Amino acid sequence: MTLTLQAVGYRYAGADQPSLLEIDLELRDGEVVGVAGASEAGKTTLCLVASGLAPRTVGGRIRGTILLDGENVDAWPMHRLSGRIAMGFQNPSTQLSQVTGTVFEEVAFGPMNFGLPHDDVVARTWQALHTLRIDDLAERNPQRLSGGQQQLVAMAGLLALRPSHLVLDEPTAQLDPAGTRLVADAIAALAADGASILVAEQKTDLLAEVAIRMVVLAEGRVVLQGPAADVLDDARLIELGVSAPSAVRLRRAAEAAGIDPERLRD
Amino acid sequence: MAGRERLTNPPLMNRGVPKIVGRPGPTAYHRLNPLTKATLATITAVAAVVLGGLVGPVVLVLVAVIGPATVAGVLLRLIRTALLLSLPIAISAFLVNLFFFPGGEQVLLRIGPITATAEGLAFALEILARIVAISGAVTLFYLTTPPADLVVDLERRGVSPRIGFVANASVQTVPAMVERAMQITAAQRARGLDTEGSLWRRVRGIVPIVGPVILGSIAEVEERTMALEARGFARPGRRTLLWSPPDSVFQSALRWGLLVALLALIVARVTGVWA
Amino acid sequence: MVIRWIVALVAFLIVVFVGIAGFGNFETGVDPDNFFDAEGANSFALIGAIALVVAFVAYAATEYAQTRAFTSISSQFDTRTIVLMPIAIAINIILGATVANALKIPVYLDSIGTILVGALAGPIPGALTGLLSNLLWTYVLPPPFQNGPAAAFAIVAAIIGLLAGFVGRMGWLRPRPNRPIGQLGVGAVLSVGVIGAMAWLAYLGWTSPAFSGEVNFNVEGSDAIFTVLGWLVMLLVAGTIVGLLAVLFIRRDLTAAYVVVAGLGTGIIAALISAPISANVFSGVTGGGTDFLVAALRQAGADIGAATLGQGLISDPIDKITTFFVVYLILSAMARRTKARFPQGERLIDANEPSADEEGEWRGASA
Repeated sequence: MTLTLQAVGYRYAGADQPSLLEIDLELRDGEVVGVAGASEAGKTTLCLVASGLAPRTVGGRIRGTILLDGENVDAWPMHRLSGRIAMGFQNPSTQLSQVTGTVFEEVAFGPMNFGLPHDDVVARTWQALHTLRIDDLAERNPQRLSGGQQQLVAMAGLLALRPSHLVLDEPTAQLDPAGTRLVADAIAALAADGASILVAEQKTDLLAEVAIRMVVLAEGRVVLQGPAADVLDDARLIELGVSAPSAVRLRRAAEAAGIDPERLRD
Repeated sequence: MAGRERLTNPPLMNRGVPKIVGRPGPTAYHRLNPLTKATLATITAVAAVVLGGLVGPVVLVLVAVIGPATVAGVLLRLIRTALLLSLPIAISAFLVNLFFFPGGEQVLLRIGPITATAEGLAFALEILARIVAISGAVTLFYLTTPPADLVVDLERRGVSPRIGFVANASVQTVPAMVERAMQITAAQRARGLDTEGSLWRRVRGIVPIVGPVILGSIAEVEERTMALEARGFARPGRRTLLWSPPDSVFQSALRWGLLVALLALIVARVTGVWA
Repeated sequence: MVIRWIVALVAFLIVVFVGIAGFGNFETGVDPDNFFDAEGANSFALIGAIALVVAFVAYAATEYAQTRAFTSISSQFDTRTIVLMPIAIAINIILGATVANALKIPVYLDSIGTILVGALAGPIPGALTGLLSNLLWTYVLPPPFQNGPAAAFAIVAAIIGLLAGFVGRMGWLRPRPNRPIGQLGVGAVLSVGVIGAMAWLAYLGWTSPAFSGEVNFNVEGSDAIFTVLGWLVMLLVAGTIVGLLAVLFIRRDLTAAYVVVAGLGTGIIAALISAPISANVFSGVTGGGTDFLVAALRQAGADIGAATLGQGLISDPIDKITTFFVVYLILSAMARRTKARFPQGERLIDANEPSADEEGEWRGASA
């Protein structure tokens, strides 16, 4: 399964300027692609467009082509697309449906919406919980969990839809360090399992850990792209409002101090 | 699995729906279908108004509130909650009708320009009985029925899942919003805002709290909408239900029977057959 | 489409005729001991409200029989509206409970959410928000929010939401900034006139015989609380007047006048429908700040029907003008593009603002 964006532009309703321009992007099977950029560079907009929420739910205008396995998804309604491409957001609490009393029901909410057979819903729910190692939260009240745990529950709710692609918009942005660790580990585990993920993040440490390829946005355009290791080591990153991951900064500091970075590995 | 009806065959995976989901209530009254309990509460409340007088509502309270509450083992909680619920209105109703009953002649008590009359007292007692019947019936329903159970049951009967969503989400939003207001109140108080004291101070204190809570909640609508649509919420057609409360032919007959009885009562009162 | 409306109209007329033939007359003689002779039960407004609900059910049933779906109704319930409704209901209940239990002023402020949804989404979601608010308020919420009397007034709340939906649909809540001073002057005279008349009525009620000489809202000699409450209402009215005039003359926004008219109309209709319910179910006392008004009216010699109606005609228009004004402020605080996505949102946006959406290779959602 491949998600392809070809020359995609997007403009919010009532906005004078487009927020995205000429985006070419491919998300292949089992690949984690990182999206970085300063705030307002278009990271969230790219996630919304890739997941199909813009313009279907958000409104606004789009141009260019989005293909899922070569098929143009232009005429697909949101509920058809949401079974294939799932999107997670920054704020854990607004992603909870607010109609469930247990984590199990919360995770089952998506498959229930699709009217899947009862046993299928139950099986998918347990599997999603198990994949993120939160089986033990199943009977807890989702409103009473920590931010990091809520974010994992939200992600499990997406996994239960068994999407071919997962789009995550700054999943750790509103979490404390403990929550960030929890979610980062989960994303790393998913990536290791071969999930296809498009993840936008300010925290490049997370991207350094999980991303295979990366794009960097500035003013709605792709200004840097390539293998994650190369992009994250690019000297232009600072000018683009993106801080290099701590490993890269440590190596540079060591080089500046005249220490052989290879020796730091020991 | 007692008290819970699987919608389809037993699950293929070794783990089914957690037992906590749709766990049956502790007593036979709790385990009645939620719609049955809602019907009982509504009919008791309406009948108390239609019957009027003193005897009708008192009998209703004994038969339809105190009796079931004893069976359900919630009598003490019911009395406490119903008191909390109806005390302000009961006191108001009692005093207003006792003292401000026009045309009362048998004066019982005179305080300055206002008088309490025997006619006013009789009328106040009737209103009091009515209020006790209504609040008791409603409290009994509330104490024996988790709101989500009623919503699941209504959805199974074909009520739109979107209405069920609104009902369930409202129940969770009220305390969440209050929590938010508390946080803002604490923050405002820390900045020296007065939220206690005289009426005018309270009125003035409420504005900087209400504004941020309302606007903040409305600002979240967009993100919640996207999150729901990303989970297939807008898909037309029936949803899968994880469980649903059991119902029986007897309960269905009971509901219809009570409804017919209530309609008969109303017709009898309107036409003056029974007054 | 036409058939549905005809069915609804026929159902409405049948209920009105049956209602009037069954209970209706204009007699105002009230015997509080006898439920069905009470003036309230004869209220045409209540019969009309019930007829409206029956007409809606008939409309929906016909549409379902024709198409096996409720498309014309469900199109007003997009996901955005569904998400807004619980928040609106919570706003209704929390503010309503605060005002009724803590502030003890003779207004309700329990329909801000209802009117907001009605304006943004349409008459049916507005009505449903009102209905659900009052039902949940009574049946589902735990104390201290629970309110016993609310469910009995569910029909009133539904009608308020319905009216707000029509107000929104007619574009009355669209901003009208930078209007010429002449138009603003007319608006100001209208607003101040209406509010002044309300205040004068309330004042009149407080001090001199009204209601064809039967009722005397005599405040002299009774508890000082009435004076305090009177001042509070006056303050609220004054605040609303100042706010409306600020909108009129600082933003030069003519919509302030529309807000006043919408609030006045909704308030009077709400009073007419709720008075008979209040009188017959609760003898006019519902545990809130309005009880003092009823008490004052009854002490002055009014019967239950006249006292609740008098209370309603004083409280409701003030309450609804204030509420519509608050809703207009909320709408003003919302981003234009957020508003525009609600089913009726386009009608709440200033038509004069240019739209940046040119056509060409840019396209919207195709579904």
